[in-house]
Amino acid sequence: MQSIIETLLIGLSNGAVYALISLALVLVWRSTRVVNFAQAGQAMIATYVGFEIASRSQVFWLAVLFAIVAGALIGAGVDYFFMRVLFKHATEGPAAVVAPVIATLGLLGVIRAVVGLIWSSEYRLIEPPVSRNGYTIGETTIPFSPLNTLIIVTVCIVLIVISIIFRRTNLGLALRASAYAPEIAQLAGVRTAQTRTIGWAIAGGIGGIAGMLVSSENYLSPYSLDLLLVFGFIAAVIGGLESMVGAVVGALLLGVLLSLVLNVFGTSATFTSAFLILILVLLFKPDGIVASRKGRRA
Amino acid sequence: MESLLQGRGAVRKRLLFFILLGWALLIVGDRVSNVRLFQGAEIAMFTIALASIVLLTGYSGQVSLGSGAIMAVGGYAAALTITNLQTPIWFAFLMAVLVSATFGAVLGAAAARLSGPYLAGTTLALAVGVPALANQFNFLGGEQGIFFDVGFPPERFGSDFSQDKWFFWISSFLALVSIFITSNILKSRFGRTWQAIRANSLAAELAGIHANRMKILAFTLSSALAGLAGAVLGMNLSLVAPGAYPLSLSFALVTGAVLAGISSLPGVMLGAVILVAIPEIADLVAGGLGDSEKVTTHLPGLIVSVLLIISVIFTPNGPGENIRRILHKKSAH
Amino acid sequence: MIGKNRRKRTWFAAAVLAAGSLFATSVPANANSTGVSSSEIKLGITLPLTGGASFGYKKVGDAMNAYFEYVNENGGVYGRKIKLIIKDDEYSQVKAISETKKLLESDRVFALVGALGTANHKAVAARFGLQRNKIPDLFINTGFSGFANRAQYGTTFPILPSYAMEGKILAKYLKEKYPNKKTALIYQDDDFGADVRVGFATGEYKFTQEVAYSTATIATDAAKIVSDLKTLGAEVVVTFGVTQATGAILGAAARVAFAPQWVLGSVGSDATTLRSLGVPAQVIAGAEGASFLPSPTDTSDEYVKLFQEVNTKYNKNVSFDNNVLVGMNTAMLTVQSLRAAGKNLTRARLISAIQSKGSTFASAGLVPLNYSRTSNVGYNGYWIGKYDSSLVMKPVSGTLEVWTTDSAKGPVVKSNFKRPAMPAKGLPTNS
Repeated sequence: MQSIIETLLIGLSNGAVYALISLALVLVWRSTRVVNFAQAGQAMIATYVGFEIASRSQVFWLAVLFAIVAGALIGAGVDYFFMRVLFKHATEGPAAVVAPVIATLGLLGVIRAVVGLIWSSEYRLIEPPVSRNGYTIGETTIPFSPLNTLIIVTVCIVLIVISIIFRRTNLGLALRASAYAPEIAQLAGVRTAQTRTIGWAIAGGIGGIAGMLVSSENYLSPYSLDLLLVFGFIAAVIGGLESMVGAVVGALLLGVLLSLVLNVFGTSATFTSAFLILILVLLFKPDGIVASRKGRRA
Repeated sequence: MESLLQGRGAVRKRLLFFILLGWALLIVGDRVSNVRLFQGAEIAMFTIALASIVLLTGYSGQVSLGSGAIMAVGGYAAALTITNLQTPIWFAFLMAVLVSATFGAVLGAAAARLSGPYLAGTTLALAVGVPALANQFNFLGGEQGIFFDVGFPPERFGSDFSQDKWFFWISSFLALVSIFITSNILKSRFGRTWQAIRANSLAAELAGIHANRMKILAFTLSSALAGLAGAVLGMNLSLVAPGAYPLSLSFALVTGAVLAGISSLPGVMLGAVILVAIPEIADLVAGGLGDSEKVTTHLPGLIVSVLLIISVIFTPNGPGENIRRILHKKSAH
Repeated sequence: MIGKNRRKRTWFAAAVLAAGSLFATSVPANANSTGVSSSEIKLGITLPLTGGASFGYKKVGDAMNAYFEYVNENGGVYGRKIKLIIKDDEYSQVKAISETKKLLESDRVFALVGALGTANHKAVAARFGLQRNKIPDLFINTGFSGFANRAQYGTTFPILPSYAMEGKILAKYLKEKYPNKKTALIYQDDDFGADVRVGFATGEYKFTQEVAYSTATIATDAAKIVSDLKTLGAEVVVTFGVTQATGAILGAAARVAFAPQWVLGSVGSDATTLRSLGVPAQVIAGAEGASFLPSPTDTSDEYVKLFQEVNTKYNKNVSFDNNVLVGMNTAMLTVQSLRAAGKNLTRARLISAIQSKGSTFASAGLVPLNYSRTSNVGYNGYWIGKYDSSLVMKPVSGTLEVWTTDSAKGPVVKSNFKRPAMPAKGLPTNS
């Protein structure tokens, strides 16, 4: 049995990465009212771009930079070319409820297939900038490595940057306004459509970072980010899709809980427990843990 | 009074239609190869599964990404029944329907409070979590699953009667029966009630409809169908395993439903044919493009996803809607 | 009114479409010589080309094909060229079934050869009634001992020594070499793993700890498994898993500086593949394992030398490892089987030929083949080796010692088997 502290630390490290994805999902949800299932797919392409840079330049942070930029461009592209077309056409009838969900699912499928066709399903390895070997404390080596520390630190920095953008800048104000009250925002001179695209770009960039971090810990393949999507999604829903703080809290909680479950119940209980956690949360708090008081649209 | 008469007459006409269809399939089944028979059985299976989505999403407006999980419940129920209790085939399928309906009722009760993305998220987790349950409990067979053996065709059919034909007969029969029942339900006041709830649940409540109860009923019936489809799937493979009900199955079902018209029951046959045809077409295309493993693995997924996107953007309610719009425009001039 | 008519039309159209799309007449050919023409023999294989378990194993199909090309260019089998159709089953039973269906019914192959994966092949055999329909199922890439059961799998000819055999031989080795150490076994949670546990039980060996893993979650579970074993203080760890799983375990162990004596089960022990999964070389060096073939780097072995040449010329010179060796070895045995069946090639004759002449076939195996009229068992033994610092497996005691046994309660005995010489240029001339 691992010690409690080790379990906690690993859970935090995993949860930190889920937090990035759930944050991106909440960002997109709040600005477009769409759950973007293609988020992990966007992250995947961004990460493959990063992989190409990493294997050529051997500089991890350069690769991350490229991944962020690629992610942002793809995110913006998806919103501009895809979502706008979608909303123009598919707005009536019984399928309107389903259309955005299905469209982003379809997009995920396309991205995965394209990635597979270009890069094949081979496992790709990305060298992290710090060691993957656990810290040695006295006699023992624990499963928590400098890479895990780096992940937690990176996520914290991203969160701080994002919250500064949202609370202290005009852009952040515009993003929040476009999500909550687009008509009023437009009257106040905010160009909501463009702002929304920027929101998608930011979400895409965050996804790129998440992909790079996860892949440097394990490996990269067209399927390696699947878990990230499922857990990031569950984390976002647990946290309540309305709040970014909720997204992060939900993700960290999920990470720690799953780590505990793995430790106590052993292997292959992870999916089932994630699902159970989700059900339990929604049973008692149907709108997520951090239910926003400002009210939400249906 | 008139509507009642209309009701009974329409039902009788529908029954006749299904019986004729059954005869047609019987005759066709005698003339085609084993490969086609197996595909026919697959089409029948998808028909039942798509019908469950039409009922749930098209009519009652609840989005579920977890149909694969409910199919798994039905499949395992049937397999366990046959393997452990050695019952006749029809009993196993009955168990599949009952168990998955019960599961659906519980799920529906929990889901009734959820809306939009929360429901989608829960059902997504369901699709991933339920098949993984098989790894937890030994009697569920773990990753390699349980054999689902419906036995060989009865001897009086002769030795030429292939296993594939037997599967085809059973699948088609179940498909015909379940679609018949479903179409009657959808054309009745239940169907109209669900459509009312989907359009505006508040107004429906005001009109005296118990929205929550009806939504749960929709979940229950839809799950019964999905469970039956799952059992048919297991029969066709002679196996139920987590790998038979992956996340991609749930996605494929949603795709098929949208492609065929999400609230159109006749469309499910078309949707089922498309779902079975796409991998075959993709294989042909891949073969033509050279046998790279990259192409064969990923091309079918690409085609399905692109089709899905195109159809969801341009014909979100099925091609029938677009045709109707064009016809109306023409007649208006 | 209009609505009803249109609805009726849609029903009808849909029905006609569904029924019509099934319409294709074809009369099944004479089953006994399906897949054989005057110029060609069609064979089919399903194995994981993509997906988690594909590491290493994906090379087997191409390796077999390369050897068949070599034979085809040198006269084929009595003038017929061998065509191997390779299908990807992603190590999934469901895909194995659908791909085998294509092989049997669309491609109409003469025989299945080299099918990989215990659970997959059990599902395929059950679904298609291989025994009942008398479909030859040659040299399957799985060591599940149940496949030797002739009542159930009469047309199936295993080639690999069974996992039960490996368990018994390893049990003897562990008892003698590591008598008082804390030992652990990591095994796959299906029939593949169950089989080796039977072997250890028959060999009366008890592990301090036994851990099951699932291929679906091994990537994330490896750290936990390793951590548990480390806490236990395991000194010898036997990994009996597919290469991907073995790689995950070894990699996780490296990260927490857990370095017991590794004993790698034959299925997942290929060094080249493990390296490609990111396992550091120093972790593999010193690991022990069982093998029934010569080391793939041993060019002093005539079979290895020839296969390497074929690999260079016909297989795009991919890195020559155990998987390529196994593939070519199986292909050589296949050619000899086809030849032994005679010019009038039918399924029944092929099966009969292997039963009566299979034990005399030439192959790279350092253990005997046991095919006969009463036994479908192929190889039945192993030698124990240790990876040296350049990752070449050498006999653990310095000289080659081959041990043979059965999958039941028979003893483990030392074998004096002398391998038949390779036919000239590696081209069989048997009949």
